[in-house]
Amino acid sequence: MLVEHARNLMGLGSAVHAEYGTGGTEIVSLLACSLDGEQITVSLAEESRLRRLHGSETVVEHTTCNYGLNPEWQHIAEEHGMAIAGIDETGEVRAIERTDHPFFVGTLYQPQLSSTPEQPHPIFVALLQAAAAT
Amino acid sequence: MPGPVVNVLIDLAPGQRFRTATFDALAHAASACGMDAQIRAAPTDQIDEDFMSDIGDAVVAGPGTPYARPDRAEEVVRLARERGVPLVGT
Repeated sequence: MLVEHARNLMGLGSAVHAEYGTGGTEIVSLLACSLDGEQITVSLAEESRLRRLHGSETVVEHTTCNYGLNPEWQHIAEEHGMAIAGIDETGEVRAIERTDHPFFVGTLYQPQLSSTPEQPHPIFVALLQAAAAT
Repeated sequence: MPGPVVNVLIDLAPGQRFRTATFDALAHAASACGMDAQIRAAPTDQIDEDFMSDIGDAVVAGPGTPYARPDRAEEVVRLARERGVPLVGT
């Protein structure tokens, strides 16, 4: 999502994800410290869709991520319709969303790992509600 | 009336933990919404022009990267953005 955004909306044709090899501008880079298998606390932006969905200022989520938005390029997550929806305790971006779209959310954590039949994760409930409404 | 079609971009094999968790989470949500959602796996190396002409009612860019065809996954993300198709990437 971030690479697509950078290439097609920011005009950064050299944008790449570090997972796919070197060469180009690493928009998504290897984390200095892997979060694989960790639980992280994500602070949700005040005006974000995610905060409205969760009805709380923070969420604790499971993550398996080894990659994240390159801090040097963090500003791209706040341009051309993209917004930062959540940051972790280190200040790094953990969730993004588009403000010009019915529902377009990206997480650098795995909400599916905390979903249960009794407590479906709000992101997936909102996705289906948006799908039914469009 | 059939529920929304949700295409999950995922290359992980059936039974793999994160694939199972993704499909389970969508099933939990569909049940909570009272929807008969049609949740389909879309391996990235099987994304073709026909798929791109109709990417469904929602898209999940699933876990388990690197994708076999990141170029095709990126194209689906672009289409979802441009067409206003709801999308979640995890």
